[in-house]
Amino acid sequence: MTPEAAPVHKPVPVPDPTSEAYWAAAAEHRLALARCGHCGRLTHPPDVVCPHCLSTDPGFTFEPVDGRGTVRSWTVLRDSFLPGFAEDIPFVLVDVELDVQADLRLIGRLVDGPDTPLRLGDRVVTVFDARDDGPPVPAFSLDPTAEGAR
Amino acid sequence: MSDRFAARSQVAVVGYAHSPVRRHHDVPLGALALDTALAAIADAGLTKDDIDGFTTGSLLPTSGGHASVDGVSVVTANWLAEHLGVNPRFCAGFQGFGQIPGSVTMAVNALATGAADYVVLHRALHNPPRGRYHANPMTRAAGPMQWVAPQGYFGPLSMIALPYNEYLQRFSASRDAMAAVLVEARANGARIPWSYWHEKPITPQDYLDARVIAEPIGVLDCDIPVDGVAAFVLTRADRARDLPHKPVYVAGYAMGSPKRTRLPTHWPLDDIMEAGFEIRRRLEDATGVTVDVIDVPQLYDGFSPFVYFWLESLGLCPVGEAHRFVQEGIDAAAGGLPILSGGGALGNGRMHGVPQMLECYLQLSQRAGDRQLASATVGLACHSSPHFGGAVMYTAEPL
Repeated sequence: MTPEAAPVHKPVPVPDPTSEAYWAAAAEHRLALARCGHCGRLTHPPDVVCPHCLSTDPGFTFEPVDGRGTVRSWTVLRDSFLPGFAEDIPFVLVDVELDVQADLRLIGRLVDGPDTPLRLGDRVVTVFDARDDGPPVPAFSLDPTAEGAR
Repeated sequence: MSDRFAARSQVAVVGYAHSPVRRHHDVPLGALALDTALAAIADAGLTKDDIDGFTTGSLLPTSGGHASVDGVSVVTANWLAEHLGVNPRFCAGFQGFGQIPGSVTMAVNALATGAADYVVLHRALHNPPRGRYHANPMTRAAGPMQWVAPQGYFGPLSMIALPYNEYLQRFSASRDAMAAVLVEARANGARIPWSYWHEKPITPQDYLDARVIAEPIGVLDCDIPVDGVAAFVLTRADRARDLPHKPVYVAGYAMGSPKRTRLPTHWPLDDIMEAGFEIRRRLEDATGVTVDVIDVPQLYDGFSPFVYFWLESLGLCPVGEAHRFVQEGIDAAAGGLPILSGGGALGNGRMHGVPQMLECYLQLSQRAGDRQLASATVGLACHSSPHFGGAVMYTAEPL
């Protein structure tokens, strides 16, 4: 890990036993999410229990999922409260419902830029935001193949 | 009805005190809390030796990466009791958001069961003396933060920006409509002596000109972080009748909670609204009072969009209509629905649900001075987002 005295960088994810498979997949530009071994449904982030079946022994396994989804909301950040983002503002964060399961949501950068016209329901694909000092971070881009794509 | 609250009208608010609200006080927060608690006890016609219960919700006086120190940046119920020199029978803190309704529930339950006879409920808010309120210096994102901070999603501003934009987009509303909320909050706050914004009303243009931080949230959509303390005294209705001020009765309360596990600080609009609808049902069941008779509905406004969410989820206006309703319907001085007659957090400073509770108390006890409303019989004090907060109903007469 980068020492504390290093130049200002964005927060680097610290993988733990609940997340190491997620970040390992991201390093290979694959989106992998936690599937409950009990009920088979996906959840993000993985919790102590499965939020769907309430199993206390969900035995989550991470598996690759389709990264396509639908924009449910967005915000344009015009100020920065975390280290390393000052040079990126303004930037867009999108709240995305993934196709793979109803109400499965991810929040990520929209890499198309702050002037991208957006509407609720816009289609996006998962992409990966490369970082110098940590694993690539899942992000989104408007789906160029979507019907009505601009 | 089987769900009726067993302690309905058995507990009353009988006194209060409020410190000046400042960006930074030059005395420690604990000292301010002690002085304010003593003033509230005196206002209720009591002495500290009468007090045998303490409660508060001390969570989150600060955001970002600030440390929490009891007596300095937070003041717990135990700290207050100990430093007042009181050994209380009942002393407890509410753990979650919705600190004001949460701590009212604890005070009411303790009083109604006889666990205490006179309870001081306080709330102490702190604005750290250095750095930016929301700034977080984290360079490593561990635990829950690993899922959001690496992409720049962190903290209350982007948290509220997402459901607010979802609202604006879903109902084709303009962010400019919120100017009416800010003008009303600040007009009322300008009339309150202890308010940070005393004698500082704003115009719609001031709102429109203010800096945008996390679109559509601008700086004036956020309450300003402050140092300030408020304290209330509560007791049972039979004891309240012997005290100097007209008691204000607690009719009941309802709390909300999120139904789904989400990413940290991810608050989709439907999560918020569903909890608000449920709070309304629970309140009406608990009190037997329907929301349409509430004449002092004080809505939470720590971020301005909460005003829309509470208006609509409580049924005070139709879903999707709040952005239009506030244009003409909420000017308390002109006879509109007084949802921010106490100035709210936007008109007082970041007092976290205190302005709503205090306005219910002041109006229903006829102590609101030149802000006194012509009709003040049933009040509702909302706090936080419906899905992490709650609301307490008050009445001027026991039900």
